[in-house]
Amino acid sequence: MDISPVDHLVVGPSQKSSKVRVTSRSSTGSARQSLSSVARLRRRQSGASIHSPTGSDTDQSEIFAPTPRRHALLQTGTLQWLNTPLSSRPSSPSPLNPNSPRPTSSLSFSSLMEEQHQLRKKESSAEEDVGAGRRWVRWMSKNGMRSYVTPCSILASIWIKWAIGAGGYSGRDSPPMFGDYEAQRHWMEITQHLPISKWYTYDLQYWGLDYPPLTAYHSWLCGLIGSRINPSWFSLDASRGIESPESKVFMRATVLISDLLVYIPAVTMFCNIWHKDRSRRTQHIALLSLLFHPSLILIDSGHFQYNSVMLGLALHAMNLFALGYDFIGAICFVFSLGFKQMALYYAPAIGAYLLGKCLWLRPPFGLNHFTSLAFFTTGAFLTLFLPFLPPFSSLLSTSIFDPISRVFPFNRGLFEDKVANFWCASDVVFKWRNMRWLGRTGLLRLSTLFTAIGFAPAVYALLMTAWNRRQSLRDPPKTTSAPSTLSVSSAPTISSSNSTAHPPSPKIKSVEIAPPAVLPKQPCATLPLLPYALFTSSMSFFLFSFQVHEKSILLPLMPLILLLSGSTSDSEVWEWGILVNNVSVFSMYPLLKKDGLGIQYVATTLLWNWLMGSPKRPKSLRHASLSFVQLLSLISYSTIILIHTLDLFTSPPARYPDLYTVLNVLISTSVFGLSWLWSIKRSMEVMWALGGFGSSKSSFAVGGASGGAGGAGHKKTGSSIGGKGVIVKAPTSPSRSSSTVSASASGSALGVNGRPSGLRANSRGDLIT
Amino acid sequence: MQATERERSVSYVPSPLLSVKEHVDDSESPESSSKGWKRWWAEWGITSFERDVLIFSTAIKVLLFPSYRSTDFEVHRNWLAITHSLPLSQWYLDTTSEWTLDYPPFFAYFEWLLSIPASFVDPKIVDLHNLNYGAWTVVAYQRSTVILTELLLALVLFRFIKGSVEPSTQRLISVSLFLHPGFLIVDHIHFQYNGFMFGILLWSLLMARNGDKLTCGLLFAVLLNFKHIYMYLAPAYFIYLLRSFCMSPQGKPLLPEFISLANTVILTFTVSLAPFALYGQLPQLFSRLFPFTRGLNHAYWAPNFWALVTALDRVLLRVVRLTGMDLSVKAEGVSSTSRGLVGDTLFAVLPDIKPIHTFAITVLIQAIFLVKLWRTPTYKSFITAVTLCGYTSFLFGWHVHEKAVLLILVPLSLIATENHAYFRTFVIASVSGIFGLFPLLFTPQETIIKLVYSGIWMVMTFEPLGRRIYEFPSSFPMVLLDRAEKIYLAGFPLLQLVVSCLPIISSIRSAPQPAADSIGHSGSSSMDFLPLMITSVYCAIGLCWAFVRLCTLYMYCHPR
Repeated sequence: MDISPVDHLVVGPSQKSSKVRVTSRSSTGSARQSLSSVARLRRRQSGASIHSPTGSDTDQSEIFAPTPRRHALLQTGTLQWLNTPLSSRPSSPSPLNPNSPRPTSSLSFSSLMEEQHQLRKKESSAEEDVGAGRRWVRWMSKNGMRSYVTPCSILASIWIKWAIGAGGYSGRDSPPMFGDYEAQRHWMEITQHLPISKWYTYDLQYWGLDYPPLTAYHSWLCGLIGSRINPSWFSLDASRGIESPESKVFMRATVLISDLLVYIPAVTMFCNIWHKDRSRRTQHIALLSLLFHPSLILIDSGHFQYNSVMLGLALHAMNLFALGYDFIGAICFVFSLGFKQMALYYAPAIGAYLLGKCLWLRPPFGLNHFTSLAFFTTGAFLTLFLPFLPPFSSLLSTSIFDPISRVFPFNRGLFEDKVANFWCASDVVFKWRNMRWLGRTGLLRLSTLFTAIGFAPAVYALLMTAWNRRQSLRDPPKTTSAPSTLSVSSAPTISSSNSTAHPPSPKIKSVEIAPPAVLPKQPCATLPLLPYALFTSSMSFFLFSFQVHEKSILLPLMPLILLLSGSTSDSEVWEWGILVNNVSVFSMYPLLKKDGLGIQYVATTLLWNWLMGSPKRPKSLRHASLSFVQLLSLISYSTIILIHTLDLFTSPPARYPDLYTVLNVLISTSVFGLSWLWSIKRSMEVMWALGGFGSSKSSFAVGGASGGAGGAGHKKTGSSIGGKGVIVKAPTSPSRSSSTVSASASGSALGVNGRPSGLRANSRGDLIT
Repeated sequence: MQATERERSVSYVPSPLLSVKEHVDDSESPESSSKGWKRWWAEWGITSFERDVLIFSTAIKVLLFPSYRSTDFEVHRNWLAITHSLPLSQWYLDTTSEWTLDYPPFFAYFEWLLSIPASFVDPKIVDLHNLNYGAWTVVAYQRSTVILTELLLALVLFRFIKGSVEPSTQRLISVSLFLHPGFLIVDHIHFQYNGFMFGILLWSLLMARNGDKLTCGLLFAVLLNFKHIYMYLAPAYFIYLLRSFCMSPQGKPLLPEFISLANTVILTFTVSLAPFALYGQLPQLFSRLFPFTRGLNHAYWAPNFWALVTALDRVLLRVVRLTGMDLSVKAEGVSSTSRGLVGDTLFAVLPDIKPIHTFAITVLIQAIFLVKLWRTPTYKSFITAVTLCGYTSFLFGWHVHEKAVLLILVPLSLIATENHAYFRTFVIASVSGIFGLFPLLFTPQETIIKLVYSGIWMVMTFEPLGRRIYEFPSSFPMVLLDRAEKIYLAGFPLLQLVVSCLPIISSIRSAPQPAADSIGHSGSSSMDFLPLMITSVYCAIGLCWAFVRLCTLYMYCHPR
């Protein structure tokens, strides 16, 4: 189960206290036992919601070094107070329970020691489940060096990237065509020496420029600096295939510096913006997981590309959306598209989010917003293509079409080489390219259709949620009273179904601080859906679209790692994140092997996994306690290990020289496909939790069930923030228990703006009760 | 034995805070527990913290496989070939390659052991005539032998944690030593086996701490037969073992102990040298080990006392030329630039230095410390004396190589947290020593690697250690001194900036000439050598000052 950030903050204290109580007991055997029973119990209690809190989202260290928390009344973790049986549950294990250790018959000194021993073992094994990254961050704060964590981890990531740069790259020592490295170098060369109009037409057979203009400008800048240092690196035609160590260092440095200027600030800001309600420690760990993520490092610093610029720009766009600066965000995204057309994989999700925001805002604002967005986006595109437009290029020439036809190579095949997507994997059976009757255009249409079907759920979720949330805002009484504060809070938390039941309180009006004009500055209510939508849409592009490269898996990976970065190691998101990340590195293994990056592949993958920690081990394989993703991980990891072992020691049979690659593709594709399905399921869950399916029924159900679980007569304060799918609201009497309900967003795995919303909701709750 | 006990009981006054920490540390360590399959490392007495360090270090070292490697790589490959393909009698006679075997016999045996798997990995590795073989197999093989043999260092360092008076501090020191930038630069990039041999040295020191002095002596004798540079430390060992092992605390000689120690050492040397003595090759062997045909300074001046003297000579030469003073300027000294040439460094103004001078100075200074050690033969005193012996040899020795600075930094780390004065000495010596190693790696690729790694290492080592033992300077001169030292340390980033900018400036100056060649060739020769000289002199200042500090601390303020 996914643990959202806010819920970590919210439910933390109660669990922590229970945990402290449990572990401090010397009667040992039950520590785990009762913890899990706590979790189970709680799961049952919040059974109405799909996302239940699990027992161990807090790490033990926080018991030793607690972070300051708000007053208990301001916390919504009051759940535990309601569940009195929970704390008074007998801690001694039932003798009937086969899992519990047998109670010792007498507590002699030695048996006491033995019990201490057992307890310590349990604690330290709990310690083991935590990743090394977390251990390191904890160590740093123990030594009072918390402020060093971010600079040190950034420096370390630079070091690792640079060290990988010492190794091979794409097309090393392989004349006459070389590889991606030579392509990038060649573009620096031609942009230096040719007028802009010839950039996209010069000698296309030798690595003609096939990325949008921003890449060309970037190459031009790098080439300019490089020519200052040593003109021979970039002399026209003469420098083809130059591979001197100095020029290699320069090229590596351009990657690293671009990364440092674009991607690393984006990642750092992401941790501060999207995780701003989380503890500093969680932010640091999130940063670590993003910085050391092996696929991107290996492709950019090893294989040689500038993906981090494109991803960084897209991430900047996400950050700006979360801050409410949609226009700058949109411009950033256009730049990302202008750097590599692959950012198109994100476009449906980003577009749907922005459109959803326009829907979410009430019509006058929404329309304004839409117009401005259209204006800024078009403006940014025009700026990018300015040198190719009439005043600058020769009139009536086709120069504007040059980049476009270069960028979208529809006249190539359905796929090249072996890529872990649907077409290549099913090619084993269907032989798509032999289907003459389908033709290339047929295939193109088919792939477009599949892709569209693939990302439709994400778009649907974003738009529908925005639409439904917007309807609740339209309700006249709400716009005047309480809900306007809610809309300001903009959190994915609250949707009132029946707010007319509220007696309009005079105080509520005083809370109404936000003039409607501020609205566009708030992120849309669908923001928690955005990473899922990005993942769904980019994965569907990767799986189904035309002409996909294996490196494009980086695009679906980024949103997944963003999601992973905030989750705890026992959540579903975390397990999927780890699995898909590892499988994606594996899917690029043939490529990396060709580049001579095998050892770097092993080292960085192990390093990252070790930083993240191992997933919770299932107690036993027979126990049927394996979740689907655990089972999948088990199968895929064992197959991967098997393939690697075979690859290392034997060569494939002569009849099937590509055997290992094909196996690789099959495994990777199935994992990717399943993760795509999972992400759709997940977005539906999040959407439901956000009230995206039309508010009244679902939220009623949640409220009713949770109210019932909590005991209707109890007085509850606060509301849930983002997390958990737990409840909320303070019905003053049983008869009104369903009158005000907030379906919390279990899915807001990245609970943006959780705190303000929580506070406001609280203030409202206090006022009402 | 008694001395150690006494030393321990006196030198350590635990504060309540520390004991709490210790307790926490102990509770973390899973040694007490477990037979789970996932805790295999615990069987070897490795805590999860140490396992983390091992994994991390292995990962980063593996990433350095393809980086720059010096001729030492080919030297060691050649030794693999010699020991594998030639009979024992030919080992010290072979001259197929210019890189002849010039380490003591144990190292030759060690190479022979390594050459056995090598021949399975790739037979070309051990082909004697396959000079400058640089295939991926040989790189991966040799680099991984360095990583694997360095595990000895890790294990010994982790043993230091157990039974130390402050485990958490000792853990920091141990880890900082294992991940020392010196080892990374010299072993994993430049290529040598120092990690392994310092593992033996530290093992020997560990045995001294634990009171097992016979093993201590044995291990040091073994170490001497691996690499004779450790003779720098031998005087301290000799005095310490003689005083604390072969004599009672009251000063009465204990004959049985003496005989057992002597036998051990003699036996070790016999095992090492006997085969070659049988072939009558001892003179040949020693001529290989001690080539007295080199100059005062190495190609790049090691940052020691002689670097300062040589620099002073250069400055004086300028002064003499400018002012036209009537001083005898030796012509051969003017032309001697000591750049890349193996030969004598000749001074233009100052009197020339002969090997005997350096030897005399070294012995005299070492004698002072040895007297002190004789009087207080405790473990801490012993470590300090070992450090100072190495230090003296490094500063005043003949033809010292900059890599020898590890001989100072490694034992110095063990006493770094004695008090803040020691710690400051450690910081100054480490920073200047590590910086002095930087010229070993001159390619731009490795420049970033060494700078970033050393930066992270310094932060991660100095910050937590400094926090534990910080003391406010007690008097006004001390405040001034403190400030001056901080300014000196802050000068290192500036120095790096200057050193990296000078070649660029010189290349721009020479830009009117055909600018097609790369940076390295275009600078004039004096500009070429200038960055190295500045580095050497600046680091030498720090190392000499740290030496003075350590001497003072040892002679006057050593904790009894």
